[in-house]
Amino acid sequence: MVTRVKDSLANRFSTSGEKPIAIPPALLALVGLLLVVVLIPFLYLIIRAFEKPLPEIAQLLLRGKTIEVLGTTFALLAMVVIVNILLGTAIASGIHFVRLPLAHLLIVPAVLPLAIPSYVFTYTWLALVPSLSGVFAAAFILILTTLPYMLLAILVSLRRIDSGIIEVARTLGLTRSQIFFRVVLPQIRGSISAGALLSGLYVLSDFGAVSLLNVETLTVSIQNMFKSSYDRGAASVISLMLILASIVFISVDERIKDKKAKENVFKRLTADDSRIKSLPLKFFVLTSIGIYVTLALFLPIYVLISRFIGNPNPLDFAGLASAAISTISVSALGAFIALLFSAPLGFLIATHAGRFSKISERIILIGHALPGVVVGLALVSLGSKLGPIYQSVFLLAFAYALLFLAKAVASMTFSLQLVPQVLKEVAATLGKSKTKVTTSVVFPIALPSIGLGTLLVFLTAMKELPATLMLRPTGMDTLATQIWSYAAINRFNDAAPYALLLVLIAAIPTFLLSLPWGDWESKSAASKTRVGSLT
Amino acid sequence: MTSLDVSHLSVNFGDRTVISDLSFTLKAGEIASLLGPSGCGKTTLLRAIAGLLQPRAGTIRLGTQLVGLSSVVLPPHKRRTGYVPQQGALFPHLNVAQNIAFGLSKKEFSQVEISETIAEMLALIGMSGYENQMPTELSGGQQTRVALARALAIKPKMVLLDEPFSALDAELRNELRSEVVALLRAQGTTAILVTHDREEALVSSDKVVLMRDGKIAQYGSPEEVYESPISPSVAVSTGDALVLNAHQAKDGSTSYALSSPGAPSTLANTNNGYVVIRPEEIAVSKNASTGVGGTLIQLDYYGHDAMLVVKLSDSTEIIRARVAGPMDFAVGDLVKVEHRGPIRFFAND
Repeated sequence: MVTRVKDSLANRFSTSGEKPIAIPPALLALVGLLLVVVLIPFLYLIIRAFEKPLPEIAQLLLRGKTIEVLGTTFALLAMVVIVNILLGTAIASGIHFVRLPLAHLLIVPAVLPLAIPSYVFTYTWLALVPSLSGVFAAAFILILTTLPYMLLAILVSLRRIDSGIIEVARTLGLTRSQIFFRVVLPQIRGSISAGALLSGLYVLSDFGAVSLLNVETLTVSIQNMFKSSYDRGAASVISLMLILASIVFISVDERIKDKKAKENVFKRLTADDSRIKSLPLKFFVLTSIGIYVTLALFLPIYVLISRFIGNPNPLDFAGLASAAISTISVSALGAFIALLFSAPLGFLIATHAGRFSKISERIILIGHALPGVVVGLALVSLGSKLGPIYQSVFLLAFAYALLFLAKAVASMTFSLQLVPQVLKEVAATLGKSKTKVTTSVVFPIALPSIGLGTLLVFLTAMKELPATLMLRPTGMDTLATQIWSYAAINRFNDAAPYALLLVLIAAIPTFLLSLPWGDWESKSAASKTRVGSLT
Repeated sequence: MTSLDVSHLSVNFGDRTVISDLSFTLKAGEIASLLGPSGCGKTTLLRAIAGLLQPRAGTIRLGTQLVGLSSVVLPPHKRRTGYVPQQGALFPHLNVAQNIAFGLSKKEFSQVEISETIAEMLALIGMSGYENQMPTELSGGQQTRVALARALAIKPKMVLLDEPFSALDAELRNELRSEVVALLRAQGTTAILVTHDREEALVSSDKVVLMRDGKIAQYGSPEEVYESPISPSVAVSTGDALVLNAHQAKDGSTSYALSSPGAPSTLANTNNGYVVIRPEEIAVSKNASTGVGGTLIQLDYYGHDAMLVVKLSDSTEIIRARVAGPMDFAVGDLVKVEHRGPIRFFAND
């Protein structure tokens, strides 16, 4: 999905066929070094897993418990992804094609739940219905959590469909539903797949919701093995299985990707009278958005506020403040490391298309498939050999950087490609050397977008739970760990202030990003990348 | 301002040859147009001169300085060519003054000199007072003007314009084009203008480089390429042209549908080929005594002139003639047509 944005931009700005410029050796070395650093935890996991004799690995993989956990994981994955595809396609198409009051604002409440991590959803729903547990409850929560990814991905591509094509199809005698299946659906297939990928990866790597609802998925298994027996080898084997599942999932999406048409000048659906006027459809769209927003936004917020106000115990200001400070500082450090790493990687991908770029991109994408539990496990195992870094905030920040590197690099690449090739060429003919072009043209134009990308990595890191649980220094609590710990022992009132603070901080940028400011289309590419960054 | 010498230049994109063995020269202060259909390599040639891509073979000299050789290429930032791409490509994060001053290094020029240059350039393009405007606040024509000022501010050895007017509407386009050409002439700038507009190429330049498939089809002054095309296809690419079947006798006399009656046309001794005629070289009248008879079958009225399409009575040829308005023709009129111009004969190969 991220690569798709990049491809279309690269096509638009590159002068076709010209010889690729050779990669400067310094950049090559730096990127090579970074890739090794990124790969070390992953390789270490493989080594640990294969320290076990093969029959033992086979026995571990084939025992009843493993099969059961695997089955639960895939059942959950299938439920969430299938419901998401159906609901997401229906609601997004409704928002786009049906004439609705305040249509451009409808998307805002539907996207705001992105600010709420799965374990906060679970916590608020547990506070409402304490008996909630099991795989169906987990599916329900994870659908609430991930539906906005689907909606955003599909809406962005719906907005790119040339409405001229739809008008032509109508004049050729197709009915509305024929148009949807024969004209619209083929053009948004890729985005549906991208949305399914995002929500699916979320499910595979989720720890918070499933652990609170007593569902044993792969992530919970790994965490349990890690905590109880300290059999790191077994945990590593299961981790590799989880990574494999994610990679298979990613490669399925790669296959479904749109064969993208060149971006031509086209007409977009803007005039209200070209939208469908149908009362039943209008009712369906508004009701489904209404139900979703109630379940995923109003109810959770209501629970948080009422639990916060209704708490008979005095607010633990010191605890809240120290958790907030820990959260902010370690997330900021993680975002900063991710920024440092993403600069050379993004620069390489944005400016030097070629095999090396492709390989680097793939390696970084592995990070996308690494669940927090796995990164946590790998770094704990590795970190215990690293002396002072182990049990320090640096290791946790590094984990954040690894987990969100794919997002940081996608944002960096996108930002750098905001600068059209022709501007760099003009600058060159005006006497600016390559370095000077970068400092005087590329960075000033790309900087706001790079800043926004870094901010998003920072906010995502703040919500991270499983790696934080495994890697935080003894005695350090973050907002996420506090919410999870209190919710796990049903102290819902005590969790409320932490959850409220976290949601509030995360909601602000989500809100800003979802606003249909100015020209949506020009930002559509941006929001497409951003959707990824919000994960 | 310097001269330009392009010699045996070849450029490849991968396996595809985009420019092959192309040579031409330009004197200091001359303005040349690169004219040709899209994909003929004109933009590639411009980019090679600017140093934005590397040629496979051949040399490019600016004045006496060798800037481009297949093996050694002077990078674009050391060439001092002023580049004006399509739609200007102003730096969106800089205002008008900062855009114009972009190429003036603070090491070489004092702040006072830079301010003076900005003021001078703004006066030159008639945009004094626009210093602090951002590019998005400017109209298309203003953006092109600022892009030109930005290129001229570095006192370039030559200015390279890549279809700078293509995004503008017709009226503004003509106005801005004559303004820019006048400005380039006043500055004595050597310049190359890439265009696919035939009239634009003829009206703006001293030399027309007519390109086709990565090669030069014809090179010369606008009058030369228009009046004396070296082939029927060159004639068609510089303006409207009639291509009629013709025979040329040993004595040099040519017969074709409009040749004066009595011209020898014994097929045995002739050389078959074509005659190329410009529509404005054909006179049409309703009551002349001379000329070839025909019927007016179509009339395209443009206001200042009109294109008449005449079907000849004694031949299958269709003649198109441009006549100045006002006139009193109507479709269906019986008319006489006469060719009053040079006979350009091209033999079949």
